[in-house]
Amino acid sequence: MNPGVLSAGARGLGLAEHARKVAQPGRPESPAPAQATRPRPARSLVERWLDWRWSAWTSPLLVLALWVAATEQALAPEQILVPPWQVLVSGWELAESGELGEHVWISLSRLLSGFGFGSVLGVAFGLAVGLSSRLDAYTAPTFQVLRQIPSVALIPLFILVFGIGETFKVVIVAKASFFIVALAVHDAVKNLPVRYLEVAAMLRFSRLQVIRRVVLPAIVPATLTGVRIALGRSWMVLVGAELLAAEDGLGQMMEMARQMFRLDVVMVGVMLTGVIGLVLDRSFRLLEGYLMRWQRR
Amino acid sequence: MPVPPFSQRRRLVGLSAALMPVLLSATKVRAAELLPSALRIAAVSRTGPSGKTLFAGSSALVQEQGWLAAELGKLGVKLQWVPVTTNSVAVQVNEAFANKSIDFAQYGDLPSIIANASGLRTQLVVPGGSMNNTYLVVPADSNARSIKDLKGKKIALHRGRPWEFPFSRLLAANGMTHKDVRILNLNPQAGASAVASGSADAFFTLSDAFLLEDKRVGKIIWSSKAAPQDWKMRAELWGDSAFLQKHPRLAQLVATAYVKAHQSVVGENGRENYIRHEVAAGQSRSLVEREWEGDNTDWNTRWAPLFTPELRAHYAAGAAYARQARLIGRPLDTSKLYAPQFVEQALAQLKLQNLWASR
Repeated sequence: MNPGVLSAGARGLGLAEHARKVAQPGRPESPAPAQATRPRPARSLVERWLDWRWSAWTSPLLVLALWVAATEQALAPEQILVPPWQVLVSGWELAESGELGEHVWISLSRLLSGFGFGSVLGVAFGLAVGLSSRLDAYTAPTFQVLRQIPSVALIPLFILVFGIGETFKVVIVAKASFFIVALAVHDAVKNLPVRYLEVAAMLRFSRLQVIRRVVLPAIVPATLTGVRIALGRSWMVLVGAELLAAEDGLGQMMEMARQMFRLDVVMVGVMLTGVIGLVLDRSFRLLEGYLMRWQRR
Repeated sequence: MPVPPFSQRRRLVGLSAALMPVLLSATKVRAAELLPSALRIAAVSRTGPSGKTLFAGSSALVQEQGWLAAELGKLGVKLQWVPVTTNSVAVQVNEAFANKSIDFAQYGDLPSIIANASGLRTQLVVPGGSMNNTYLVVPADSNARSIKDLKGKKIALHRGRPWEFPFSRLLAANGMTHKDVRILNLNPQAGASAVASGSADAFFTLSDAFLLEDKRVGKIIWSSKAAPQDWKMRAELWGDSAFLQKHPRLAQLVATAYVKAHQSVVGENGRENYIRHEVAAGQSRSLVEREWEGDNTDWNTRWAPLFTPELRAHYAAGAAYARQARLIGRPLDTSKLYAPQFVEQALAQLKLQNLWASR
């Protein structure tokens, strides 16, 4: 992994400066013999490269260069390995006709409704089983078994039960996010330090007060991480479900294009799926940083 | 000195006799250098009840006759059958043609048009054989009696497959377009379960429609049996153009083998034998018979390997449809899709010019 990629995200949290301050003092003294014999300017070049604000683009550009090289060398027939500029042109054409925007919009609205349902239910359920050992004992076996079933494997079953309309897609996305969020919340509650609860007991907090003033604030970090992972997973599951059964959406655009032997359009879908996933993840990190700003004080 | 010349000659003869196999094998090696080590034909396959992979249609007959494998074997070329599954023949075959992993394929009209429009070069080598009927199925409790009753309803159809074109003709004949219905792009299996569960209002497919009727979850409200001849979907033998040009001798063997198969099907017991193969490959006998029952195309014509004006019109219309429905990005000149020389040669070789000459 390119450290530049990480720092770009951390910069949003205001953590980059801190991380660098911690890392810097160690570096000059690092006693690796190979590095000691190497001339000084060479290393500082690497360091300067990593410090440069666009260095996060190193790995994407390398991948792009590989792609161009592969198409130039005609490693695969052009119908299968489409050159990047052709993908760009196709993407532009699709965007201009409005078709692409429509697919993306539909996919995103499916994602948000399914993910919204799933994560709200997940938080509620996780909290309930985390707080009540009895409920936990009743539901744990079922929960643990269901959690192990890959969402993609449930698609055929869900189609039979919910039909191939919107319900099925929203439900499968909700299922994907529910289990991840519920598990994260459950574990966060279980791992709450005992002394928090002891203090709460000393202050004679009521049960509601314990939940509002102790449990909820304490589980925010773990919950947010769970929700962010769930968001990424939901997106993947949704595109997968659309590949199999949908009238529209990004996944369906790719499936249709494959049937029509338009692998350039498939590539547009692949790239866009990745970029949208990245943007979702990044925006959630920003939100996380904002909600967690009290921690850094 | 009567002996030396004789012995010298004898020695020469002996030497050449000893060298003969070496020389022969050398020429064999040279021939093998020019020819590919294997000839690969993709065909629809099913897993038969015995668990063996069995091919459908005339490919099964070519395989059974064994003539092609033997003739290719004489040239040191191995015959390889590449199975493709009914669920996504079009995609699998086109991708295989693109990455040069097959030389011939027995598959449908619309996928071939899509392949050629995207820059692949394939040509029709042996026409005829599988002129499947297409069916419109609705859930068993549906009130729909014709396609007109399905206006605004959800119809399951696997896009880009050969039965899409007959479907568009059915719509057009009833004064409708694709915009009048909601098409669910589902593969045949998913389409069947969608119509069975009632989440699709109809399903357009091949003879697997009868299976839904047998299970009492669907009923057929329309079939292409009585429709004009060119409403039937076509699936026939296509070859990679580059291969046809590079190895005309091998292509000729393949074409001749398929024409021989067509000949045996229209001959004595041919129909019965064909059914036997389909049953072995897991199709029920009643399904095969119902597919043909009441069909307006006679048996002999169905198997005619001829490049008729109707055939050319069919492909031209198919390409025009694909363009207009924006399945393909640019118009396709279908006149370059045919390689009739192989069938002509085969018919002459087998003295069959008159077998299908009625047309």
